[in-house]
Amino acid sequence: MATIPSATEGPVTDRSAAPPQGLFSWVSSTDHKKIAIMYFVAGFAFFLLGGLEALVMRTQLARPNEHLLTPEAYNQLFTMHGTTMIFLVLVPVLIGFSTYFAPLMIGAKDMIFPRLNAFSFWAFLFGGLLLYFSFLAGGGPDAGWFSYAPLSEKPYSFTRGLDYWALGLLTIGVGTVSAGINLIVTIFNLRVEGMTIRRLPLFVWMVLVNSFVIVLALPALNAALVMLLLDRLLQASFFTPATGGTPILWEHTFWIFGHPEVYIMILPAFGIISEVVPVFSRKPIFGYGFLAASTVAIGFLSFSVWVHHMFAVGLGFPVYYAFAAGSMLIAVPTGVKIFNWIATMWGGTIIFSTAMLFAVGFIVEFTMGGLSGIIFAAVPLDWQMTDSYFVVAHFHYVLFGGTALALFSGAYYWFPKITGRLLDERLGKWHFWLTIIGFNLTFFVQHFAGMAGMARRVYTYPALPWLPTLNMLSTIGSYIIGISVLLFIWNVFRTLRRGEPAGDNPWDGWSLEWATSSPPAEHNFERVPPVRGRRPLYDLAHPEAVAAGEEG
Amino acid sequence: MPVNSPFNTASPQAAEIASLYWFVLGICIFLLVVVVGSLTFILIRYRGSRGHEASKRQENVLLEVAWTAIPLLMVGAIFGYTLHTMHLVYPPAGNRAPDIRIVAHQWFWEVHYPQLDVSTANEIHVPVGQDLLFMLNSADVIHDFWVPRLDRKIDVTPAYPVHLWMHVTKPGVYLGTCAEYCGAGHAYMRIRVVAQAPDEFAAWAAEQAKPHATPTTQDAIDGEKIFTSRTCANCHAVKGTSADGDVGPDLTHLGSRSTIASGAADNTPEKLSQWLKKPDSIKPGSHMPNLQLSDAEVRKLVAYLEG
Amino acid sequence: MATERHRLAVDMFVLGESVFFAILIMAYVLYHQQTAEHSGTLLDVGRTGVFSAFLFGSSATMWRVEANARRGRHRRMLLWLGVTILFGATFLGGQGWEYYGLIQQNVTIRHSLFGTTFFTLTGFHGAHVAIGLLILGIMAALGLGSSREVVRTKGIPAAAVYWHFVDAVWVFIFSIVYLWGALA
Repeated sequence: MATIPSATEGPVTDRSAAPPQGLFSWVSSTDHKKIAIMYFVAGFAFFLLGGLEALVMRTQLARPNEHLLTPEAYNQLFTMHGTTMIFLVLVPVLIGFSTYFAPLMIGAKDMIFPRLNAFSFWAFLFGGLLLYFSFLAGGGPDAGWFSYAPLSEKPYSFTRGLDYWALGLLTIGVGTVSAGINLIVTIFNLRVEGMTIRRLPLFVWMVLVNSFVIVLALPALNAALVMLLLDRLLQASFFTPATGGTPILWEHTFWIFGHPEVYIMILPAFGIISEVVPVFSRKPIFGYGFLAASTVAIGFLSFSVWVHHMFAVGLGFPVYYAFAAGSMLIAVPTGVKIFNWIATMWGGTIIFSTAMLFAVGFIVEFTMGGLSGIIFAAVPLDWQMTDSYFVVAHFHYVLFGGTALALFSGAYYWFPKITGRLLDERLGKWHFWLTIIGFNLTFFVQHFAGMAGMARRVYTYPALPWLPTLNMLSTIGSYIIGISVLLFIWNVFRTLRRGEPAGDNPWDGWSLEWATSSPPAEHNFERVPPVRGRRPLYDLAHPEAVAAGEEG
Repeated sequence: MPVNSPFNTASPQAAEIASLYWFVLGICIFLLVVVVGSLTFILIRYRGSRGHEASKRQENVLLEVAWTAIPLLMVGAIFGYTLHTMHLVYPPAGNRAPDIRIVAHQWFWEVHYPQLDVSTANEIHVPVGQDLLFMLNSADVIHDFWVPRLDRKIDVTPAYPVHLWMHVTKPGVYLGTCAEYCGAGHAYMRIRVVAQAPDEFAAWAAEQAKPHATPTTQDAIDGEKIFTSRTCANCHAVKGTSADGDVGPDLTHLGSRSTIASGAADNTPEKLSQWLKKPDSIKPGSHMPNLQLSDAEVRKLVAYLEG
Repeated sequence: MATERHRLAVDMFVLGESVFFAILIMAYVLYHQQTAEHSGTLLDVGRTGVFSAFLFGSSATMWRVEANARRGRHRRMLLWLGVTILFGATFLGGQGWEYYGLIQQNVTIRHSLFGTTFFTLTGFHGAHVAIGLLILGIMAALGLGSSREVVRTKGIPAAAVYWHFVDAVWVFIFSIVYLWGALA
């Protein structure tokens, strides 16, 4: 437990004893903090659903030639697992953090369009419910989370599941784009006096760049979904070879969205790490300029790599040269961030809070995932390893070992601000270590399963060398992850009931969210501190440093 | 049984890819060691109250340029080696007539040897030591042809024919699978490549080119009647009979194959009987209908098909 | 000085919709070989050109709306707004006429790749125009009421961006589908 005294002046305000709000006030709220909490709760509920789907799949895969599930059931499960985790968990929870903390960190009292903010949340929730309604309406979608044509077309897919999938995603997409627009305008227009763009906290900076990626990428998905629905419902010919279309158009259109989408899932996570690491190293972030610039580089480059999902299609070398180059290039600004975070820690004072443990875990696991990504950028290696368990390992390393760990880091870091109570650090450390053990056991062995020739999206596999052992180990790991999640839930419930009051600034952070009560009042700030540098609260506590011209 | 790995190579294509892999993996491991090593050092050296709270703006442009430029050079090297390997593994098909033509279906592989007048399914015999050109197309959805020890994988997209070069160095059996999710039967859409010495391959091809064995036993004679008069012939082909359906796999010389249902079961009379009686019990979701055959009909068909 | 918030929001929205149309146009261009023959025989470039002139004209009138809004000339602004709406509706009428003719000949989305790409691209554009007319109608109604200041300073600048965008998209679609597709 951190014992650093609060750096702000004045009495610590304990808001955790405020009276509970009625349900209607939540449903009708346009307060960014309430909306963000709803994103967290709904996103976490979908996380449990998606996790359950994973556990059932892993149970089926524990042994070769197992028949606990029919292939039809399994295929719906893996489709919904991917769709849920991406569209209903990672993106919404990241938007939740953006919605809660971007306004606070720039000294604003809410998002610039509060009603649009509420709309964004409800669009996401209804889209998710529409998606899951498919199970009650004849069967869930079963063409995978990226629904390649013609498998996604009639006659190969004849249940309504894919129609619900497309309509659900269109609805969710509208919510996501409106959230992106809201964040851009908020960050541009509502910054407090003194908070220039170059003094933006890196979380806000990365949310800003990310919001542009959202605005440019999601409409490509909308176009793809529209074309798919027209094919399925009105017998259009976009992707059906029999009537002149081509499935390759779907692949391009989808991945023009799909690749930037994975950066949408990582950029705000990078932002969380950029906030947590300096505070728990007691040092300013190293190389703010390069970190900001590399974010913009990644934002641009994310639109120039999509064909690397199609390296095995046989499209021709010139196209592959260009996209291999882009895919390798994008590793460079990503690497810069890793090195800068490490440099931030160098020479600092490392505090092993749970938030920091998850942040360090992120750096290691995400680096591993990023490196396996470089393997895929080398086209002939993709020719062997794509569509095998090696790629399943890769993307779980960047999305779970990356984004999910960053989200847990953010959760432990910001939970006290949101609720006024500190999550238990001892339970937190158990949660962390179980997660690391479970995660690596589940997914590290999957690299080897891919290297032993196991294809992905198979409901069962033969008892070829290594496969039974690797799959059993992976299944055991997945159950450990399940237990770690239960620990986290227990920690949250226990803390909400009788957790230790946090005070305004339990971690001695320097950004503006720590300059108000925990939780903040409805209008956020009684008075926003003056902003003369990148670490306003540091400057406030060290006027001599400011006077000496040393910007924080 | 050898591990079915792209790194347990039996062809120059797979070997080239494996070499590139070790090179890239080496670079990745180096970078991982740098990251994990420095973190380990930091977490030990600077934990708790050992450091001090720095106030100055933190940056070192020279250092940051270095750790931008060095990775850039590394990926540059990887890029160069990548291009080199691409050309070695996948030269264009050129004007050469294909040795093997494959049509991917839900959920089996239709296999033709145009120059040898052989048509079969799922089990692909090849002579060792020769450059072979495959042409692949799909009859329905996107599939993917992947035999890890022998070659890259290639998506087989409808209305988008592609080629593949294969050269097997050692005789043996090489297992593969469809590697693009294609529906309910995807997990059982397996490939069996049997690489043989050239004279053994020639003998195999000569046998396969002959019509299906004329039935001699009563059961087999009855089986042929059932096969050609019932709906079997609508979907399946058997050379030398009137059955020429192409919706399901070609069943000529079925008895010569090691597996049935594209690798879902071993080719034994028991398994074939089980398949005919209840296809779903061997390959759930298969398009093979349950024809409600009697045990006697099954026995006769098995006798006929196994030849 | 930050851009006015509603205007900025619509700018961002337009950015996204540009990508949406770019993808649909990309699909059209990809299938151009197979659809060119149909677009030559089925489309009336001249007639659509005339109706397009109304749409392009409505951008010019919209520009007058913005100018008058900036100068506080409320009545003139409303007048030009009315003309803009009229011109936009005329364009939509022309589209409807064209669609009617095609459907009479059984050319629909399912008819061919031409039907698929033509109706999708022009249909989504038409839907955007229709929504634009709705927005302009709301601006006019609010402008006739008691929200004059808000309409002049926030509503019109934002709505104008959207309207010009819808126009600009038609420049692309008309060029690619009609001029290139039908005349080439």
